[in-house]
Amino acid sequence: MKITTSSYISAAGAFLNGQQKFTFRETNWQKECYQQLGLDYPKFHKMDHLSKMTVLATELIYSEGHLNALMDDEPELLFANANASQHTDMKFIESYTQQGNPSPSLFVYTLPNILTGELAIRHKWYGENTFFITPQFDSSLFAERLYHAARKGGNWCLCGWVESKVDEKNKVTEECFLFLVALTDNTADRSSFAAALDELLTNYRNGNSGNLNR
Amino acid sequence: MSELKENLKAQIIEQLSLEDLTPADIKDDAPLFGDEGLGLDSIDALEFIVLLESNYGIKIADPSKGREIFHSVNSLAAFIESNQ
Repeated sequence: MKITTSSYISAAGAFLNGQQKFTFRETNWQKECYQQLGLDYPKFHKMDHLSKMTVLATELIYSEGHLNALMDDEPELLFANANASQHTDMKFIESYTQQGNPSPSLFVYTLPNILTGELAIRHKWYGENTFFITPQFDSSLFAERLYHAARKGGNWCLCGWVESKVDEKNKVTEECFLFLVALTDNTADRSSFAAALDELLTNYRNGNSGNLNR
Repeated sequence: MSELKENLKAQIIEQLSLEDLTPADIKDDAPLFGDEGLGLDSIDALEFIVLLESNYGIKIADPSKGREIFHSVNSLAAFIESNQ
């Protein structure tokens, strides 16, 4: 297992392979990122924030040609977060408690794994997909699942930690960390792979360059 | 009619939580559904039914007409005008 490419987006900016690609000025930084990437995908505007961030972080990887190798070999998808679809859940509750009608278009995003469906639609990937809810980013879980995916004969896995959390004061904290893993590369064992993942995410969160050469 | 269209655009944005868009982003004659317009789908058609009932008191008697009525802001506005 080897991380070949990674991307990270949050209100602080968009990063690809440890390098900052964009900074954001607008409160709606996801729309700003969409514009900076030059995307033309109307469906994006109706997605929940988890799906939007995942689409954007995937497009970042695409923008550099890192996913072209997968055109004939679709990746498995392995995602996780800590708060499921909490942000959309709250909007959905508001739609029927304050606006009078439960919103169907919000309801469809009250499951976090919908984001894997959005990726499948966007890129026509129809491979296996899994979404875990864990208290925090669990690099060991990713390493374990990727190890088993490799043993089953998979070639690629696109993984992600995608979070959109609303706290008691209604402050929204969001981030999306994606990493593309070559399952056929056996240069890293599970524990060193997990340690590299932890360091990479920490570097992104701290705004430092991630080191991919592990 | 133009005021109705502007109101409709604002209501569509609010009803569908299209927080990235402004009324100016929605053209009167652009398809609302499919990849060419706003990219809306059948779930969003339910939102339009709710919007028509709650904001204009109009129920669609013949569901088979939905595709025609919801084609664009122009067609929606024409339907509302002829049913109020």
